[in-house]
Amino acid sequence: MLPVERIIGEEGLEATERGARLAMRLPWYRSLPFSVVQVASVKLDGADIDLSDAVVEFDDQSFPLAEIGEQTNAFWFVRDSAFLVLPNVAVKADDSHEVSLVINISPPYIPGMTRVNPMTATLTVA
Amino acid sequence: MTTVTGPQVGVTLYAFTNEWLTRQFDLDGLLGEVAKRGLGPNIEIIGFQSFKEFPDVSDDFASYFKDLIAKHGLNAVSCAINSDRFMKPGQQPIDDADLVEYHKRQIRSAKKMGFKLTRSQFALPAHLLSELAPFCEDIEMPMGVEVHAPMWAGHPAVLEYREVYEKLNSPALGWIPDFGGTARAIPPSLLDAARAIGTPEALIDATKDIWQGPEASYVKAGKLRAIAQDKGYELAHVQACTLAFFILSNNDPQSWAEMVDRTIHIHGKFYGVSNEGVEEAIPYEDILPIFRDGGFTGTIVSEWEGHAYCAVDAFEQVRRHQAMCRRILAGEPVVAA
Repeated sequence: MLPVERIIGEEGLEATERGARLAMRLPWYRSLPFSVVQVASVKLDGADIDLSDAVVEFDDQSFPLAEIGEQTNAFWFVRDSAFLVLPNVAVKADDSHEVSLVINISPPYIPGMTRVNPMTATLTVA
Repeated sequence: MTTVTGPQVGVTLYAFTNEWLTRQFDLDGLLGEVAKRGLGPNIEIIGFQSFKEFPDVSDDFASYFKDLIAKHGLNAVSCAINSDRFMKPGQQPIDDADLVEYHKRQIRSAKKMGFKLTRSQFALPAHLLSELAPFCEDIEMPMGVEVHAPMWAGHPAVLEYREVYEKLNSPALGWIPDFGGTARAIPPSLLDAARAIGTPEALIDATKDIWQGPEASYVKAGKLRAIAQDKGYELAHVQACTLAFFILSNNDPQSWAEMVDRTIHIHGKFYGVSNEGVEEAIPYEDILPIFRDGGFTGTIVSEWEGHAYCAVDAFEQVRRHQAMCRRILAGEPVVAA
């Protein structure tokens, strides 16, 4: 990863009616189609989160994480956060949690390359 | 009377990747900073880095962008487009027709925003050039493929493109050299960044040895990985060193002479220019006269890539690089500090 790259977004972790909502940044120098992004794992306080019902939100778009591989014409603008909504994870405002996120990317002009990007941070729920 | 002008300098906003990713500037602010510091007027922008609407830019955004360029007194020369052929990892590449259309979408957007040319990539197979050449000619948007390390004038992919270029002989197709393919050494600043995270000197020595070889980048990476496994080196240290295999190679700088006639634009790749005005890894003194004397009159955009491993002031690096290019193009020697 570049020295300034991060995959847990500046907006952090938020409690919403839809579940916990985690900000994610794209670990590359340019925007990429969501189809080459894989959210490999999320841990909350050391425990693996089941991602089978997770939803990705970006601006006014949203789609199930399970269908991210089909999103060849939806581009994640590199300067913006996308958000991972976890319907079965309840968090409370002002609580702190250690969040570990792993995002894999496969740049679509470099065949065979996949980069694994891990990041852990302690976040206070907004 | 004909006015003969030599190569121009400029900058790609890619040099400011750190400042962009950390949201220190929005597009208006970054263009303004470039103008204020006198690093323009000629600029290159990677469509997929700076334009949220890419690859299909609306009329409204194009109009807004042209107003920004005018406001800051800049000249939008080159828009870097991407040859994204592998949209689904591990599956077949997209259809040829879709890939051609994907290029056209980006080229149309670049044209609409006022750019003069586009940069493409070798992920676009050479046999599709015949479909894009008439389109580029019709809308008067030359497209140049970036010759980036490990490629160089004698690389098989370049030779395949050259054959098609000669057959089509289209004024809309050309080369965009990136000088990283003809480096004299791994940038000391890259190795220092590896040392700063604790990389053992023996691993750095192995990296330098392997880098000198003629193998493909991934073969070099595999060699270093094998050594690392044998010796038990940490993954982070190996990754810090492996970067060098993918961004730089040590082909002969004189080989650029074979590409000057079809060069439409240049990526002035660099990693660190000293106080004395000398780039640490790429022999600009050898390279720039080839293009100047060969009649190249396009733009050399300063492309600082030290952001891949360090976070020093990119604006200062670009200022030094442009001063160095102007000095060399004027035929002046290095001035001792």
